[in-house]
Amino acid sequence: MYRYDEFDADMVSSRVEQFKAQVERRLSGALSEAEFRPLRLMNGLYLQLHAYMLRVAVPYGTLNSTQMRKLAELADKYDRGYGHITTRQNVQFNWPELTDVPDMLKELASVEMHAIQTSGNCIRNVTSDPYAGAIADEIEDPRPTCEILRQWSTLHPEFAFLPRKFKIAVIASKKDRALIRAHDIGLEIIENDAGDIGYRVYVGGGLGRTPVIGQVLRDFLPRVELLPYLEATLRIYNRYGRRDNKYKARIKILVQETGIEDFRKQVEAEYAELVPLDIAVSPEEVERITQYFSPPDYKDLEDVEVKSDDPAFARWLKHNVLENKTPGYSIVNISLKPKDRAPGDVTSEQMRIAADLADEFSFSEIRTTHQQNLVLPYVETQELENIYKKLVGAKMSEGNIGLISDIICCPGMDFCSLATARSIPVSQAIAERFWDPERQAVIGEMQIKISGCINACGHHHVGHIGILGLEKAGVEFYQVKIGGDPSENTALGQITGPGFSQEELIDGIERMVDHYIEIREDEERFIDTVRRAGVETFKEVLYVDA
Amino acid sequence: MSSAKHKGKGPQSLTANTLRDGLSVWLTAEFDWSMKYSEALITEDDKIIEKMESIGEESERANDVVAPYFIDVEAESGLPVRYREKFRVRGPSYDTATLVPLDIQKV
Ligand code: HEM
Ligand code: SF4
Repeated sequence: MYRYDEFDADMVSSRVEQFKAQVERRLSGALSEAEFRPLRLMNGLYLQLHAYMLRVAVPYGTLNSTQMRKLAELADKYDRGYGHITTRQNVQFNWPELTDVPDMLKELASVEMHAIQTSGNCIRNVTSDPYAGAIADEIEDPRPTCEILRQWSTLHPEFAFLPRKFKIAVIASKKDRALIRAHDIGLEIIENDAGDIGYRVYVGGGLGRTPVIGQVLRDFLPRVELLPYLEATLRIYNRYGRRDNKYKARIKILVQETGIEDFRKQVEAEYAELVPLDIAVSPEEVERITQYFSPPDYKDLEDVEVKSDDPAFARWLKHNVLENKTPGYSIVNISLKPKDRAPGDVTSEQMRIAADLADEFSFSEIRTTHQQNLVLPYVETQELENIYKKLVGAKMSEGNIGLISDIICCPGMDFCSLATARSIPVSQAIAERFWDPERQAVIGEMQIKISGCINACGHHHVGHIGILGLEKAGVEFYQVKIGGDPSENTALGQITGPGFSQEELIDGIERMVDHYIEIREDEERFIDTVRRAGVETFKEVLYVDA
Repeated sequence: MSSAKHKGKGPQSLTANTLRDGLSVWLTAEFDWSMKYSEALITEDDKIIEKMESIGEESERANDVVAPYFIDVEAESGLPVRYREKFRVRGPSYDTATLVPLDIQKV
């Protein structure tokens, strides 16, 4: 894993001291709320519906066991004994007190963590494939690129006050497990015909109130040109992005209004000005950073096959475990989607168990996923049963990854001050309705995603079934989208029509699922059937009672 | 309608979050802040509302609370009109904290 250098450590600890002084000045009244608010937001501290909320950055979703234990300790010491994994791979605490936050940040700094740039109109935490470094289909580990971007974008003076927030995601496989085309910039590491490695650059994706799928800005960008080219892109955005209207301020709107062709010309013109590439990262520096992500000390093992007569374990093996690229090793997904909890919530006790498992079985490394689960990337296949047994004891053994109960869900009205409706109870009701594991297996891959308002933090636009919570005259109702796809075939769902009460919604979803099972052909997943048969036929069963 | 200045309709209550812990509070008949909505002062009397407004501003200047604002209250139920405000009164309908033993939680 990457280790902070002295510069990082100094920067983070001086930020902690600075924020401590700012909090003191706020408490003494030297700073008003209007003055303090932007300062606390720069340190990831929001004021939510019932309390403050602290968002901690988890760069590219990689944590070591020490960091995970620290998060558990913070949850106990300063919060209510749990944390929440977000769709951007970060961790949120729902109940901290302002007076404790400087101490929390200090403790985080002691394990090389912080909350900088988890809010505000800056370049946010860079996200990536949760299987990075472990999965066979990758061209290379995408995390050195993420780390280069982290170093470049952290406290970048020119990009601290962009027109709006800016999100970047990086993958290195054809399979997209990081939703790169719903990001302001998405980077796909590719190999060209000449055998050189570089980037396909996507721009202008985003969800929120105006969902847009990112378009190709550059088909192949040589590796060494990464930072200068992104610098040029950000400059164009910084210069022309709309600051007059918050809802039109994201780069996606600029790209839409300019047109991708003209936008590309502007970027290339700016880029030409930047040559010589004085901020390009030298191959030596790339090599130095890449060293930190060297594969762990794998043993020389043969592939083994693990089978079981225990149906729950067999299910877990089938849905939660993938092959690691090294023989004899596996990637284990730990589901944070038990039936009756909030998706992505993890108690301090569970965090400690995950940390212990990582130490014992996964070279001390853990990943957070945008799907709001955890991953142990480097597990000896013959240890799977041992791990499973320990997960059973910790109530983290659901074998439901990628299935209908593996729901993405934002905090919604239960916690969020911007919400229009609740989302957690809806996800719980869906999980309850479809809990029977046999039935989940029959339904197969299904991505349900729920947001509690149009900001779309719960990714509902790209759910196979997407649900948006709204409110009218004091009553919650839920609008349904179908046909979205968060994979490399990124697609936005279509709105079906007027919304439903929660109860009607669950019945409607059940009718759509049953309809799919009735009409599906061969190995079709739900999304494949929607594509083949069209949204209309699903709409008919959804609105059959209406 | 909810606003820092009173522009609402019908009975009003004044709410804010405390600066130190961020928790929701409502102004009481004693012109104190309480975490219990059941103790909230609810009134249509313009004189009292004016006084509430100045207490709100004072508390903000004294750094006790953040961003006080008036909310409309339903005459019959005594609950806030807006759905969001009902939720601030009720608290989360689900909180993972309920699964964590109380002795290891700070709050
Ligand atoms: C609780 C405090 C939160 C606030 C105030 C908040 C606010 C927002 C806003 C205003 C947007 C729309 C941005 C735009 O379109 O320009 C947004 C988008 C988004 N948020 Fe949140 N959010 C919160 C929590 C979360 C959580 C818990 C997650 C993950 C579960 C999350 C992940 C995202 C994602 C993935 C997007 C959409 C991607 C995009 O277009 O930027 N947010 N958020
Ligand atoms: S989608 Fe809306 S309700 Fe959900 S977390 Fe984002 S801002 Fe809050």
